[in-house]
Amino acid sequence: MFLNLSAATLGIALMLAVPGLAHAESVPEDAPPPAPYAKVSELVPLPDFLPGLGTLFVDPATLPAGPFLGYDRDGKLAATIFMTPIEDLQGGTSYNDLAVGSNEVSSVDIYYNAGHPGVDKPHAHVVLFHGADAKSRVAE
Amino acid sequence: MPNRRQVLAVGGAGVAGLIGPSLVLAGPVAEIGMQGTSRGEHVWFTPVGLAVAAGTTLRFVNLDPGNSHTSTCYHPTLFDRPQRIPTGAAPWDSDFLLPGDSFEVLLTVPGVYDFYCLPHEHAGMVGRIVVGRPGDEGWHGAATDASDLPAVALDGFPSVEAILQTGRVMPPGQP
Repeated sequence: MFLNLSAATLGIALMLAVPGLAHAESVPEDAPPPAPYAKVSELVPLPDFLPGLGTLFVDPATLPAGPFLGYDRDGKLAATIFMTPIEDLQGGTSYNDLAVGSNEVSSVDIYYNAGHPGVDKPHAHVVLFHGADAKSRVAE
Repeated sequence: MPNRRQVLAVGGAGVAGLIGPSLVLAGPVAEIGMQGTSRGEHVWFTPVGLAVAAGTTLRFVNLDPGNSHTSTCYHPTLFDRPQRIPTGAAPWDSDFLLPGDSFEVLLTVPGVYDFYCLPHEHAGMVGRIVVGRPGDEGWHGAATDASDLPAVALDGFPSVEAILQTGRVMPPGQP
């Protein structure tokens, strides 16, 4: 029966299974994204532009994991970032079905961060870059 | 050029207040940087231990382009932390310093001052300043009350002896 699914039906099934795909279509490529997204530097004392991540926007209700949307200096979407506290992961917390800023993911970087205002606990940064040049666009 | 956000005099009368920079900067000035790796895996004060004479102005400068930091001393009036500065010295908290920002504090009471970065204490971002030398009038040695300090913070304080021996102690891995 599954093999007889039409392409349209399969598409709907995928959107239901992966909420991020549906969410991605509502995120504009140009900053700023609409509410409830807010500029991180206006929520917590952090620089407007973070080297390696860009200018970040987040829906405060989704903290700490995000998604955080990272825009380059020209206001173009470059990355989706998730921040997952190590202590929470160790305690059994999982972060499932997180939305993404774009369906195009060219590469993913994962690394440790000691903490910063907004996500004080040591955590992992999971950075999804949207486009081959995205990393360089937010490097500095 | 860093912005000078605040100048706080920490004197012996237990009075802290804002005073003019020209008055504070009349004495010696020493600098402590706030730094981190580009991705924020590690953060630190540099130097992590520093010996100065009484009457020295400490200037904390955020040299980290991708993070905010504070210089906050351990004191019950600041976030209900244990006292780890000399009795009679007024506590200080720089509040968050963005990249390039700086904060100055004048230290006049001899003794050992322990401080930390508010969002990074659990990452071991702490420091120690020794003002004067043991035996100076009014000297207060290192605090022994570990209280609620995380182990990584306690491990981060250089010994008073090491600081006095070399004048400054750099964080591990830093030249």
